[in-house]
Amino acid sequence: MMAQKLHKATIIETRGLTKRYGPLAAVEELDLTVEEGAVFGFVGPNGAGKTTTMRILATVLRPTAGEAWVAGHSVLGERREVRRAVGYMPDFFGVYGDMKVWEYLDFFAACYEIPAETRRQLVDDLLELVELAHRRDDYVDALSRGMKQRLCLARSLVHDPQVLILDEPASGLDPRARIEIRELLRELQAMGKTIFVSSHILSEIEEVCTHIGIIEAGRLVAVGTLEEMRRLIQTQRVVCIGLMGRQVEEAQAWLASRPDVVGVEPVVDNGEGDLHATFSGDDDALVRLLSEMVGAGFPVVMFREETGDLEDVFMRLTKGTVS
Amino acid sequence: MGRVTERWQAMRDHPIFRLELRRIRRQRWWPGRRFFMFYPALLGAALGYGVVLALSDSPGVLVTALATGVPAVCLLSVGTWLLAFALPWIAPALTAASIVRERELGTLDLLRATLLTERSIVLGKLGGCLAQLWPGILTLALLTPFQLVWVGGSGLSPYLSVLQTDPISVGEWPWVWMVAAGVAGWLGPWASLALHAAVGLFVSALARSSGAAIALSYAAIIVLRVSLRLATSLIGVALALAPAVATGFSEAMPGQAMMGSSLTSLGTVLVEFAGAALLVWGAIWQLKRA
Repeated sequence: MMAQKLHKATIIETRGLTKRYGPLAAVEELDLTVEEGAVFGFVGPNGAGKTTTMRILATVLRPTAGEAWVAGHSVLGERREVRRAVGYMPDFFGVYGDMKVWEYLDFFAACYEIPAETRRQLVDDLLELVELAHRRDDYVDALSRGMKQRLCLARSLVHDPQVLILDEPASGLDPRARIEIRELLRELQAMGKTIFVSSHILSEIEEVCTHIGIIEAGRLVAVGTLEEMRRLIQTQRVVCIGLMGRQVEEAQAWLASRPDVVGVEPVVDNGEGDLHATFSGDDDALVRLLSEMVGAGFPVVMFREETGDLEDVFMRLTKGTVS
Repeated sequence: MGRVTERWQAMRDHPIFRLELRRIRRQRWWPGRRFFMFYPALLGAALGYGVVLALSDSPGVLVTALATGVPAVCLLSVGTWLLAFALPWIAPALTAASIVRERELGTLDLLRATLLTERSIVLGKLGGCLAQLWPGILTLALLTPFQLVWVGGSGLSPYLSVLQTDPISVGEWPWVWMVAAGVAGWLGPWASLALHAAVGLFVSALARSSGAAIALSYAAIIVLRVSLRLATSLIGVALALAPAVATGFSEAMPGQAMMGSSLTSLGTVLVEFAGAALLVWGAIWQLKRA
C-alpha cells in the first residue's frame, strides 16, 4: 500500500526521522530519499548520526519520532518485510570466531529461513563472489581484517536483499582490501542492488557513489547526485592569491567589491598565498579577474585555483561541531 | 503425530538453539551432558537389583544382588538429592551468559536484523541451555518419585510418619494434602530450575558483560530464594496456627500444620513457575524495546 504512495523509483525514504538519547539528538528531522539502484554515499564526521540512521533503517533501533520506509515497507510497522529487503552490515565485524567460514554463512542463512537443502549451494556461491572460496573450512578467527569484512558482506547478502546498508565498510582496512571492497560494491550495483553506504572519509567511497548525502550533527547538510555535488564545488571555486609586498588589505577590499567574488579571506597560519577568494564565475571570468587585478596595480605573484574535490565541499559544509 | 515430529524437527534445526548448544559445549568448565548419564546408569543398576531380588531364591545370587544393589540405591538417593540441588544452580550460569555474549560479540544486532523474532531468539537460547541439562532434568523426573517413597527425603516423609503414628490427626482430607506435597516435592527442583534459568536469561538481556550478568544473576537468585523462604515460612506458620488460635489452643491439630506446609510448598512451586514465565517474557520485552 505504501509502495503506491511513494514515488516508483524511491527505495529508501525517511521523513522527519529523529532519534534522541536524553537531551542529545543523534538524528534530527532527517528527510532522505534514495532511488532504486543508486549507490548512496552517506558521509559525515564521527558521531554525526550515520550509524543511528542506518540502524533505524535496518530495524534494530526504534526512532524517537518520524518515519522511514525501505522498499515501500515501514520500519516501524512492517519490520519483517523490511528485514527481508535489507542486508545490513554494521560498523563492527560481529563474527563468531569459533565457527568455520561456511558455518557462519550457513548459520545466518538459517536465520533468514533459507531451507537447509539450498543453503550449501548458496554458501558456496557467496564465497565465490567475495573470493573466499579457498578459506571455506577455516575458522573465522583465522581470517584477516579484509577477509572478515568480505565475509560480513557475504553475510549481508545471504537472503538476496534489494537494499544493502553498509556502515563504514572500508574503515580500518589497508588500501588493497579497501579497493577489493570497492570492486565488490561495483559488482553488487551491477547486480541491481541499491547500496546505502556510509563513511567518514569521502574520498573512500566517492568513486563508487552515484549520490552523496552529507550529514552533520544529525542533520543533512547537502545531498545530490555526484554531478550536482561536483557542480557545487565548481560554482564555488577557491582561488589562492599571493601578493608581492604587503598590499593585502587593499587587495581584499578590491576583490570584495567585485560581483563575481562571493567571499575573500586573508590566509591564516601557513597556508599558501595571502588571500583566498571564493569565486563564482567560469574560466573566462577567472582570466578577466586576473588581468583586471594586475591592471589595477596589484603585484600578483601567485594566482592559482585550489583543486577542489568533494573533500573540500565536505570540509566547508561540515563545521566540525561534533568530531 | 506428524505435527509433533515437525515441531521437534523445527526446534532441533532452530539456528539459535543450535548455536547455544554449541557455545556451551565449547566452554572449558562444562563436563558435557554425558556427565548426567551417570544417573540413568545407576537407576538401571538399582532396578536390576530389585528384579534379581524378586526373582531369585538362591542365596548366592541374593548376596551378589545385595552387594551391588544396595550401594547403587544409596548412591542413587544421594545423587538425586545432589542433582535436585545442583541443577537449579548450574542453569543460571548457562543462561546468564547467553544473550549478553551476543552483545559482546556484536552479533545481537545482526541476529535482530534477520527474520528471527525476539521471542524466537530468547526461547532458542533458553532451549539450548536446558537441552544441555536434559539428561539431568529427565533423571530428576524419573527419580524423584522413587526418592520420595524410598528415602522420604522431602515432601512425603512427614506424612508417612504422621500416618504411621496417628492417622486420624492428619486432618479431614489427608490424601489431598499428601498428593499436594508429593507433587510439590516432585516438581520442586524443576520449578527452581525454571526460575533460576529465567533469572539468568532476564539479566542476560539487560547486562553489558557476561561477568556482570553471571554475578548479578546469582545475587538476584539468592535474594529471591531468601524472600521466598521467608514468605512461605510466615504463611506456613500462619496457616498452621490460625485454626489453633481460633479454637483457643484447646485442641492439638498437627494435621493443620501439615496442611500449611504442603500448601506453601505447592504455592512455592507455582510462584516459581509463574516467576519464570514472567522473566522470560521480560527478557523478550527487553530485546524488543531496544
